[in-house]
Amino acid sequence: MALVDVYAGPEQRIATVGDFFALLKPRVMSLVIFTGLAGIVVAPGHIHLLSGFTALLCIAVAAGASGALNMAYDSDIDAIMARTATRPIPMGRIAREEALTFGWWLSVASVTIMGLFINLLSAALLAFTIFFYVVVYTLWLKRRTAQNIVIGGLAGALPPAIGWAAVTGQVTLAPLVLVAIIFLWTPPHFWALALFRSDDYARAGVPMMPVVAGKPSTRRQIFAYTLLLLPFGLAPAALGFAGPLYLASAGLMSAWFLFGAVKVLFERDEVKEPAAKKLFFISIAYLFVLFAALIAERLIGVAPFGAWL
Amino acid sequence: MDDDDIEARNARERRKRSIALALVLGGLVVLFFLMTIVRLGGHVLDMP
Repeated sequence: MALVDVYAGPEQRIATVGDFFALLKPRVMSLVIFTGLAGIVVAPGHIHLLSGFTALLCIAVAAGASGALNMAYDSDIDAIMARTATRPIPMGRIAREEALTFGWWLSVASVTIMGLFINLLSAALLAFTIFFYVVVYTLWLKRRTAQNIVIGGLAGALPPAIGWAAVTGQVTLAPLVLVAIIFLWTPPHFWALALFRSDDYARAGVPMMPVVAGKPSTRRQIFAYTLLLLPFGLAPAALGFAGPLYLASAGLMSAWFLFGAVKVLFERDEVKEPAAKKLFFISIAYLFVLFAALIAERLIGVAPFGAWL
Repeated sequence: MDDDDIEARNARERRKRSIALALVLGGLVVLFFLMTIVRLGGHVLDMP
């Protein structure tokens, strides 16, 4: 049963600008903008400031469009889950069809502008990202398999490669390492959330890992993905496209992430899940610090290790 | 809220939406113009 009844009747009010903005998932969008910016800043070569801004705008709008389409296609389960029940569609402030039109038009516009003003590779990658998030993740995997966020995580991982492609017109090993970092970061991040929101997911019938495999198995898998992630987090320094500031930041954050994952592994409070809540926070800080260090090194002129060899 | 209040509120929101849409469209016009200049670069002066 829906937590929030669809709002209708004589007091029906029209959607506000804020409702449409909420449809873009601004918090997710901000992380996508940040990682996309890292791809643009770290890529070798020059891009005009306005071209860089346009590329980032297209990445941001495409991310927002994907969020709007996700909310439209998932409005039935959003109404059941406490975390999402106050979104504009379950609240009845925006019609599902309206959100679909909004999302698809923004998708087409962002890809077209990227293709016309930046280059075709970045536009193609952007189109693939929207397709992967909306069709592969939202419509296909999310309700069918516990591996939903593992595979679907690719969509959220691609922005650094899109930013890199916008500058260089190609995708090399370096942006793929940045993609791999976000891809491997996604399971511990979302499963930490799923551990303390598992009742919500169970009620909505979404087969998240704790619902399907149980909490002990999820804790072990979070730990395993953390062990896989950490070397990739240090790889930009090892491969020579990041410098000492990045290495120090990534080293510290890796230790904190590992500590958080170990605490989750041995957590016994299955009701409040304090360790999972902490790891969810650590995971956001981890990704933010790593990409901030990459950007900061370029902006303040710290030479990457590759330049020292 | 009575019907008149809702009517007035909806009119205000509709106006805000129209202004937001106008700003987005205006911004796009400026962006397209500036990006065209950037893409043309120095060649804009290479008139035959």
